[in-house]
Order: sequence, then C-alpha cells, then structure tokens
Amino acid sequence: MDWVNWLVSTVSRALAFGVPLLWGTLGEICAERAGVVNLGVEGMMILGAFTAFAVAQSTGQPGLGLLCAALVGGGAALFHAFLTVTLRANQYVSGLALSMFGLGLAGLLGRGWEGKPLAATLPTLTLPGLARIPVLGPMLFQDQTVLTYAGVLLAVLLWLLLFRTRWGVVIRSVGESPATADALGIRVSLVRYLCVGFGGLLAGVGGGYLSVAYRPAWTEGMSAGMGWIVIALTIFAAWDPLQAIWGAFFFGALYHLSYRLQAYLAPELLKLMPYLFAVVVLAASGFGGARWRRRAPGALGLPYVRGER
Amino acid sequence: MKRIWAVVLAVVALGAVALGATRIKAGFIYVGPIGDYGWTHAHDVGRRIVDEKYDWLETVYVESVPEGEVETYIDLLIRQGCNVIFTTSFGFMDGTLAAAQRYPNVIFAHCSGFKRWANMATYMADFYQVYYLNGLMAGALTKTGKIGYVAAFPIPEVKRHISAFAIGAREVNPRAEVHVRWIYEWYNPAAAKEATEALIAEGCDVFAFTEDSPTVVQVAAEKGLPSFGHYSPMYDFAPDHVVSGQLVHWEKIYEDFLVKVHKGIYTTKNLAHVDYWWLLAQGAVEVGAKPGMVINPKYEAFLKNYVINHPVFGRISVYDLVFIRLNQMADPGITFDPFQGPIYDRKGRLVVPAGMWMSYDALITMEWAAAGIVGPWPGEP
Amino acid sequence: MRRLGPLVFEPRLVPSRLAVLGVSLAAVLFALLLASAVFYGYGRNPWQAYAQIGRGLFGTWPSFSEVLRRAIPLILCGVGLTLAFRARFWNIGAEGQLLAGAVAATGVALFLPVPEGWRLPLMFLLGFLAGGVWAVIPALLRVKLAVNDVISTLMLNYVMAYIVEWLVHGPWKGPTMRGFAYTDAFPLSARLSYLPGTRVHWLTLVLGIAAALVVTGLLARTRLGYEVRVVGQSPEAARYAGINFTAVFALVMLLSGGLAGLAGVGEVAGIHWRLRSPGHISMGYGYTAIIVAWLARGSPLTAVLTALLFGLIFAAGDYMKTALGLPFQITGVFNGLVLFCLISFDLLMFWRVRLARKEEAWTGSTGSSAR
Repeated sequence: MDWVNWLVSTVSRALAFGVPLLWGTLGEICAERAGVVNLGVEGMMILGAFTAFAVAQSTGQPGLGLLCAALVGGGAALFHAFLTVTLRANQYVSGLALSMFGLGLAGLLGRGWEGKPLAATLPTLTLPGLARIPVLGPMLFQDQTVLTYAGVLLAVLLWLLLFRTRWGVVIRSVGESPATADALGIRVSLVRYLCVGFGGLLAGVGGGYLSVAYRPAWTEGMSAGMGWIVIALTIFAAWDPLQAIWGAFFFGALYHLSYRLQAYLAPELLKLMPYLFAVVVLAASGFGGARWRRRAPGALGLPYVRGER
Repeated sequence: MKRIWAVVLAVVALGAVALGATRIKAGFIYVGPIGDYGWTHAHDVGRRIVDEKYDWLETVYVESVPEGEVETYIDLLIRQGCNVIFTTSFGFMDGTLAAAQRYPNVIFAHCSGFKRWANMATYMADFYQVYYLNGLMAGALTKTGKIGYVAAFPIPEVKRHISAFAIGAREVNPRAEVHVRWIYEWYNPAAAKEATEALIAEGCDVFAFTEDSPTVVQVAAEKGLPSFGHYSPMYDFAPDHVVSGQLVHWEKIYEDFLVKVHKGIYTTKNLAHVDYWWLLAQGAVEVGAKPGMVINPKYEAFLKNYVINHPVFGRISVYDLVFIRLNQMADPGITFDPFQGPIYDRKGRLVVPAGMWMSYDALITMEWAAAGIVGPWPGEP
Repeated sequence: MRRLGPLVFEPRLVPSRLAVLGVSLAAVLFALLLASAVFYGYGRNPWQAYAQIGRGLFGTWPSFSEVLRRAIPLILCGVGLTLAFRARFWNIGAEGQLLAGAVAATGVALFLPVPEGWRLPLMFLLGFLAGGVWAVIPALLRVKLAVNDVISTLMLNYVMAYIVEWLVHGPWKGPTMRGFAYTDAFPLSARLSYLPGTRVHWLTLVLGIAAALVVTGLLARTRLGYEVRVVGQSPEAARYAGINFTAVFALVMLLSGGLAGLAGVGEVAGIHWRLRSPGHISMGYGYTAIIVAWLARGSPLTAVLTALLFGLIFAAGDYMKTALGLPFQITGVFNGLVLFCLISFDLLMFWRVRLARKEEAWTGSTGSSAR
C-alpha cells in the first residue's frame, strides 16, 4: 500500500514541521489583529530557541526551557511594542531591526553551547488507543510532541477569543479603527501591548520547539528563515487562527515533500512556494471575489496618534 | 678543504636564516562558524592542537567568511602579520590564488581545491576508505535492505563517498540499496531532518550522511535506527545507535605542513606541486564512533555473529572483515582500495577494469554512481 | 507642549534639517555607546577598540578603499530606495532586485554571444531591466490589486533567492566547477577593473554617484519628480490632481529596482566573476540599504553619505573579526542597535526644545496633542 505510506509520512511530517510555523503564525495573527505588524518573528524565534536550549540543558527541564523561551520572546515583542506603540516608530523597520538584533544576539550568547546534545528533550507522545487506529493512528497520534496538539487547541481557543468574545471585538476594533475604539473608551495602547506581547510568547515557544524537540541541539541560525514563512503564513491564513492550522501544516507538507519528490522536482522550486503563495493569495484577494476575500486589519502597520485622522 | 668549509658555512647560515625567520603566524579562514560541529569545527580543533604544540607557532582564525570576501580577509590577516594562510572552502579557491599572486612572500594552502601556485599548496583529508568500512557494517545491519544517505551537494567528493559506501554495503549484502537524498547545503539541520524522515518513510533503516550537524544521528536514534557519525565524534549524541563513523584529524596535515615551513622545506617558491591527499595510512582520517572506538561495543556481538561467504576470505564475520580491510588500508604499504576493479556503475558500465585501482585524478573528478545507489544523481554520465 | 524641569518641549510638524541631522547623529552615537557594552563583555576597552578600528580603517588607502567597496552596492540600492520611499512605496525588496540584476548579468556574461566590447554595457543594461521588472511587479500589485507593498517586496526577495539557488545547482552549474554549485567564471571581457591597489570596481561607484545626482535632479526638476512628491505627501491631492498612480509607481519602482539591479551587476562583475549562492553574493546589502535610505530621509545625495557610513560599519565588522578577534555576530547586533536607536530617536525630531519662561505652567501632560 504505497499511497498509505505516502499519506502517513507526509501528514505526520507536516504536523511535526508545521508546529513552529503554527505557533509563530498564531502569535503574529494576534499582533496583527490589533494593528501591529511584527517582522521580528525570526528574531524572537531564534532567541526562544537559544533560551529553551540553554535552560533545558542547565536544568534538565525542557518544559521550563519552553516557558523561559516564551518569556524571552514576549519580552522582545514588548520592546517592539514600546518602540511602535509608545514611540510610534515605523513598525516594519522596528521588526527588521528586531530580527537582525535577535539573530546576532542569540548567535553571540550561544557560542559556548554549540555541538552539545540536549540530554533532556521534550518527549514524543504515542497516544494510547488512538495510535492503534490504522492509518490515522500513525498519521496523527504517533511521534508528535505535546506542542502539536497544544498548538491546534490554542488555534481554536484564539479563534473563539477573537470571533466569539467581547475581548475579540475589542482587539479587532483596535486593529480596524483605533480612533473609533478610543472613542468607545478602549485603551488602544494597552490592547496593542498585550496582543504584541502575547504574540511574542507564542513565537518564543515556536522557536523553543526547534531546539528542545524538533532537533534537540543548539546551533547558530537554526530558525533558518521560519520567521519569514510565518509572515507569509499570516497573510495566507487571512488573519484567521483556524486557517492558520491547515496553512502551517500545508507548508510543513510542502517542505517534507521537497525531499520525497526530489527525483522529480528541484527542491528549490518547492521551497519558494510559501513566499510565492503569500503574494499570490494577496493578489487573488485583490480581485475581490467573496471566496478569496482576505482583508488585512484596517489600521495594520499604522501607529495610532490620538487626534489624527 | 676550502670547499667543504664553504658548504658547512652555507649550511649553518641557511639553518640560522631558517631559525631566525621562522616565527610562524598562521591565519585560518573558515567558511562556517566554528560551532557547526562539522567541517569548520574540525579544522578549528586541528588548529588548536597544533597551536598548543609548538612555541614558534601563533595562530589566528576568522569564521563565517563569505566566499567572495576571502581576499579582504587575507589582506587583513597579512596586515596583522600572518605569513602562512590556510583557506578552508572550495569557494575560496580563486580568491586565494589571486592573493597568492599578489603576496609572493606569503605561504598559502587551500583546502579541497585544485589550483596551485609557487606559494600556494592544496590539501585534503579524504574519507572514501572510511565510508567503505562503514558500508561493510551498514550492509550487515540493514534488515530492509535499504540504507539511507543524506547528502550535501552532488560534487565528486560526496559522490565518491556514497559510491565507496555502497560498494562496502554490497560486499556484505549484495541486495543492499543505498537511497540518496540531497539537501544542497553543507549545513542545514531542518533539511537534514526532513530528508532523513523522507528516507525512513521509504523504508531505510540504517543511515549515513554528509552534513555538518548530528541531526541525522539524532533523528535515526529517535526511531531506534543505527547510523554512522560524520566528521566529528557523534557517539555522545546517541550512544546506543551510533555504530561507527568518519573522523578527521586535520592536525596531522597542519602539523606536517607547518613543521616543514618552519624547517624551510616548504618555501614561497616550491609549493606548485605540493598537494596533500591524506587518507587512513597517514592518520588524517579515522574510522570510529569516537576516537579510539572503531565499532560501538553495543554492535560488536552482532557483527561478530554476522558471517558471510566472502569471495576472497571465505566464511568470515563482518567484524573481522572490517578489521582486515582497515589494516590493508591503514598499513603504509596499502594493499587494498575500495575502488578496486572490476567495478560497474549502476548503469552497468565497467568504470574500473579488473585488477586496476582508480588514479587520483579519476577519484577527484568522479561522477558515476556505484551499483546499488538509488535516487537522483545530478551530472551522472 | 510639555514642560520638563526648566525645559519646554514643543511639537513641530516639519522637522528642520538641523534637527534631522542632529537627531540622526545622536542616534548613531547612542548606538555606539550601547555597542560598547558588547566590547566590555568581551573584556575589551571600547574606546581603545574604537580607536584601533579607526586607525585600522583610515590608516592606509587600501584599507580605506574597503569602505568604498562595501559602500558601492549600498549607494545604488540606497538611492533607489530613497526614491521609492519618497513616493511612500515601501520597497523592502532591494535584496531580491539586486539578485535579479546579478542573474541577468550572469546570463549575458556566460551565455549571450555578443561582441566583447558590448558585453559589460549590455550586462549593466539588462541587469537594470531585470531588477526594475522584478520591482515593477509589486508596484502593479499594489496599484491594481491593493497588495501590501512591504509584504510583496519582502516575499519576492525569497523567491528570487531560491531562483538563484536553483540556477547554480541546476541549469547554470559550471562544467569546470567539478560539480560545485557555481557557474563558470566570467570571461575577462565581463569583469570590471579596479582602482589600482584596491578592489573598488570604480565604474559601479561612478554609476552610483551619477544615480544620486540624476535622482536628485529628477525629484527637483521634472514632472515625474513633482508627481512622486505629491503622491508621497498627499495621495488625496494626487488623486484630485488626476495623477496616474499606476504610471508613477511603475516608473518609480522601475528606477528603484533597476538601481538595485545595477548593484547586483557590480557585485558579480566586480567581485565574484560568477553567480554563486545568494547569501554569498549579497551580504544583506539590500536590507542594509533600507537603513541607509531611512537615515537619508528621502535625499538621494544624503544617501551616498549614509551608504558610506554603513560601508564603514561593514568594513569595521571585517576588521573587528580579524584584528580584535570578536565573533562575527557582532555586526548583526550592531546593525540592529543602530536601527533601534534611529527609529526611537525619530520622535525627537518633531519636538523643539527651549528654556521655559517663568509664567509657563507645569503641566504633566497636555493629553491630546502628543504623547
């Protein structure tokens, strides 16, 4: 049953490779829904990856490592928020700076930590019972870490939060029209700080997954451009956490397939797909067909100054 | 009498010049970070060993040098007083040659290239014999008959290693296949991981690779599958699953080269034909999971019990076969080479006639794939 | 208006030239101050280190020439970006446009049968067009389909980088490269000559300075320049005046990307003499050029100066790695710090500081006008 093998390996690998993308994308959706673009995902992820490894290696607790990675990612994001919300600096430039700075700093701090295996890695789970189901079992319930399922759960919760609660209305209104939100008595800056900071937490966890679970060791530049795929995915998913799930896993599958299909297709041409898709999807949404409608939050990328506009 | 004195004086004078002028400051230019745990790391380990051994030697290094910038860094190192420069990436070749022509009084050595000059030598420590020995073990260990190989670039060096590996595997297990995936990067853990997963999905159950991180070893170990470490000792990354591997000792070459420069044997005039191509016999490479451990003890019993009918040695265990072949290649009077004819490539063409060995030139330009290799093979003749 | 001690801060809408210069300088100096913490971390006295770097770079003509050489791609990309930024088009794609130029130049150098004397001019021409066309795509996407320009230009960088990877691994892999992922070396007629004793490919440098002059003239004296300024400063007014947005953005990006493409031609024809892996062709010049253009505040001539500043930072990074033995990541940290300082100091330009008069009240905050 050759096709079963293909299906199982592709889906299972898509889940494993998609996890950091999913966490990062959920974080970016959160920030962008509140109107703040954070191009610093790459920087936050690499800082998270280093922190998680250093803490897990020192304490023997991968969970603690992930927690610290989240805090570092969140801290970096709050700095971005300070620059862009309080100082009203250009969001794109600030994000680029955060990426440059994060890559440099993590590399600098991580120099003593390279070439060492991580003793305590985040365990992979085999879900009792479920893993026995033919095809579906090995596809979905074997060899995944808890972050795969937590990521999916988080996506659902984030969707509920954004689209089914009052808080969600508050966040989205801050992203759509901060002036209106302000007039309604919403504290625009506070909401933006919280959303950007929370997004950073998630990006940090996504980075941490790389160094304590996906490939348990620390190496310079190990995020390898995932942060930029996250930016693409956020658009691809139309700022919707549920679409982010299949988006992240779809890109994960593409990456895996670029190795399985190597005999037939140049891997570079599959690897450039996420970036190309992001542009194509944005362009397609420009045609305005209802099914392809993807609209960015109205105030995305704009600092809010009370009294202007 | 007068003439003898003249000779003696000349020798003494030469010696004095040699001693006086030979505080050596050697600059090393690396393409990657020294923490890569592969190529650059291994060169840096070699540099440190030699540096500590000799008083007359001072070394400096620069890491992560972009290939187009090598001349800039050579300028900077020479301005700092370096009189010997090592450049350790194929991509540095043309830049190093240009610099060698601009600085005729500095000695250069370029790793893995093929262009030389009066003051520019080349050097390489090659693994093909080691891969062959690893292949013998892999042939015994595979249950599915499919061995996975995660490869960096389809260049002659890597192709030679894969073919030697496949020849070893088939010597033990004529049905064995070596499935290859290219990641087109020397260093990319995520790519190495997904390539390994792709091979596992295809049924491979033993792994070797060319990539500068222990990723393949770690991924295989997660699935309980054996693998062979590459470049650095990777035993510690998976003590139960690293069977053996390829280890390098760049310090052997660096020491030999620098001592000869120090003694005045190598000068800025006579390097045009100096090309190190060092193998097991010179101790520049070693087979093992870590230094001194040829075969992981966990796999000794299995390989001792795995007995085959060998065309030359008759009934023999793979364990013994590995050591016989190792001794044949490690002895100074080498009596065996993996590429010993007759060898057919996977398209069935005779590439090495019976009774012949491959020449050095044939080895370093080798493009064909040995029988048993499965997968894409860019540039296959 | 806000009072802090004896000082009064008043907002202003258009910053004076002096304020722009002062604030930018202050930001760079402050970044240097922050970076000195890193030197301390490595047990070095930062002032001595800065002095040593200064002596090392300005000591001799060959060492100073490295600053010029590193500045060449930054000048071309930076001038192009100032033009785009003047039209409020956020071109983050200079990196990809540079690579597009490098690809076109390689195609001409290796595969196009042209007379030797025509080769270099044709490389520059097609390199310009390739970079320009690659940049016009996001311009059309923005005007016709409302695609965010930051995202589209950023994503196209990666698309072009993978195209270069594919070319050097696949169809353009050089037969003489023994299987390594490089194209063959360019013929001599496709290589740029250097200023004596340096690696400064002077022709590209001249093109860069000429581009700065041309773009300055274009902005100040032509109809297109007028339209660019109107589109950038007040899109509403531009619409009212009947300016053709498609034409303006397409032309602006053709020029902006074209100049980045020229930078790519300069790098392959001047430094590498072949196409190779994208990370080795451009040291992130396209991204650094964003800072260059940002610092220049829309003035192409100032961009030449700021490009030289970053050429200096690149050369200093090379020097720190060798003479001071500092790890290579330090350049990334430093660039990040400069950028952070620049954008956070930005706000200062919009304030005027003066001594308070007695009668002015202490006010904690005036609420609406600024915060």
